[in-house]
Amino acid sequence: MSNEVLRVENADIYVAGKRILRGVNLSVGAGELHIIMGPNASGKTTLLSAIAGVEPYEVRSGRVMLAGEDITNYPLYKRVEKGLVLAYQNPPSFKGVKVLEIMKWLRRKFDLDPSFTESLAEILDIHKLLGRDLFSGMSGGERKRLETYLTLSIMPKVALLDEPDSGVDLDSVGRILEAIKLALKHGISVVLVTHSTHMLNLVRPLANTVHLIFKGCLVFSGLYDEVVPLVIKRGFEGAAKALRRWC
Amino acid sequence: MRLSKDMVEAARKALNKPAPYGPDVDLSKYDILNPRRIEPAEILERERVRDASGKLGFTPEIVEKAGYVQVDEAYLASALIESLRKQGVIVMSTAEALRKLDMAREVAWTLISPDTDKYVATAYLYGKEQGYFIYVPPGVKVRTPIYTCLLITRGMTAQLLHNIIYVADGAEANVVTGCSIAGLHAEALHISVSEFFVGRDAKLTFAMIHAWSKGAVVRPRTAVKVAEGGRYVSYYMIYSAVHSLQSYPKVILGRNASTSLYSVISGEGEGIYDVGSSATLAGPGSSAEIISRNLAKGRSRVVARSEIVGESGPSKGHIECMGLILSDTAYISTIPLLDSRNSEAVLTHEAAIGKIGEDQLTYLMSKGFSEDEARALIIRGFLSVEAPDLPPQVKLSVDRVTELISSKGHG
Repeated sequence: MSNEVLRVENADIYVAGKRILRGVNLSVGAGELHIIMGPNASGKTTLLSAIAGVEPYEVRSGRVMLAGEDITNYPLYKRVEKGLVLAYQNPPSFKGVKVLEIMKWLRRKFDLDPSFTESLAEILDIHKLLGRDLFSGMSGGERKRLETYLTLSIMPKVALLDEPDSGVDLDSVGRILEAIKLALKHGISVVLVTHSTHMLNLVRPLANTVHLIFKGCLVFSGLYDEVVPLVIKRGFEGAAKALRRWC
Repeated sequence: MRLSKDMVEAARKALNKPAPYGPDVDLSKYDILNPRRIEPAEILERERVRDASGKLGFTPEIVEKAGYVQVDEAYLASALIESLRKQGVIVMSTAEALRKLDMAREVAWTLISPDTDKYVATAYLYGKEQGYFIYVPPGVKVRTPIYTCLLITRGMTAQLLHNIIYVADGAEANVVTGCSIAGLHAEALHISVSEFFVGRDAKLTFAMIHAWSKGAVVRPRTAVKVAEGGRYVSYYMIYSAVHSLQSYPKVILGRNASTSLYSVISGEGEGIYDVGSSATLAGPGSSAEIISRNLAKGRSRVVARSEIVGESGPSKGHIECMGLILSDTAYISTIPLLDSRNSEAVLTHEAAIGKIGEDQLTYLMSKGFSEDEARALIIRGFLSVEAPDLPPQVKLSVDRVTELISSKGHG
């Protein structure tokens, strides 16, 4: 792939000494949307966390390449500087740390594009959260919209979004989808983990590739219509049996 | 003023009486100097004064405009602005106030007994009433903070002070006191006996910032009486090394009176920080909140005491005491005490001690913060106590100090 921005090569991924995923291969082009599907505890969060460099997730064999650079051994924050950012499924709460403070810090550190961040803030309805403590006492929708904002506002090369739609009302899902569209339009690649049929329906026109993870293995990568209808019809196990290409 | 022979005798007997809390200290090794008045230029030109006041985040302009400056045994009172003087606001040394004003004599030593412990007794017998006296007449609302600076620049000095603030009925005042010492290692003793009176429907906001040295022994003794409908807000902050600090201010609240007592303790080195707040809900309708943030690093030992006594009801009291340990050799103990003597007194407390959460650190690093930056941000958040009563100028000083603490927040 000529415009490839993220490549995971034959990666075995461990957590606390235990192998969770084996032989993962993934290739994401610039401005592409990739969907990762799989049943609970199949390793989706593990995969995103290991790519992002979150401890204790680690890539023990294989490597992670970002825009041609091997980042396998880079610490978490350095990967962010290089343009790879993870949006947490459940970010922790911070008492006393204001949302505005974080935003100011990001603005200084990453020299953010004000027109992009302003559009993003509007789409995700962030302004009313500025004076609040970071994630503390926020509703599910507020947390997810804010986490999506903080991740995308940096304008990373690749954004890893771990279930940004779980526990969120339909309005917020719509806003998050609009934010993803804006990111893609600006050339940001998005790797999205989702379970929700609603979100899957919405992203159908945008998705370049859908990856199916089953029992610790990325078993298939293909077009949306090859994977999603089959999963809906036959469940993850049935789809994995039918599509299994690797492992 | 209670200067009876009996009082003096009682104080003499108390010269060896240890305080119930904090390490006992031999006071005989410190020099007690005779008080003297000095000129503004003399204070401002001294490098060690600039060093001590700079540690508090007090600019030379603040020191220049302060209502009262005490440097070792020398004092300067006051550069109070003319408009306040015209409204009858008085700032002078306590010694002068006791000579000139009946009301000063009437209230002095009525909230704190000279025989409380050896520290108070020493200040009573040998302090010669150094310290500041502030009076705000009825109905006068002083919004501009009145600054006082209590500085030590000479090693082995005993600074013995007696401060009185009297905010009369319906009046308001903001007083900011900075206490500091020049140099990082200096040995010195600071005893500060403070008696504050808040009149009916009056309000006093009192902020105190401490920046000491590894050898400083600090024993403030504070008592506050708040009359009906009055409000007292205190914000105390220490962010330096110290040999030992022991303080347990007590606030007595009349009918419908209220208080908010905030303290931010940042312990470091080998220092012992035994700091508390106590509120007595003496009148029906009174309320108190005590909020403390305690941070310990190095080999410091922080004891955070808090007490609310519900003597009458209906009344309400809440204690929130949080601790953050930044090194395995540091120690924090929180001792919240609720003492209810009335069935309509609703008293609650919450306390927690922990370390910086790995999940929080990792999360911030996932947004590009280095570990040090993430740690500093978390500490700053921890120390950021919402204190809506603080005047903006004072909040600026507090924010500066908070920034300083968080930027050096490593175990």
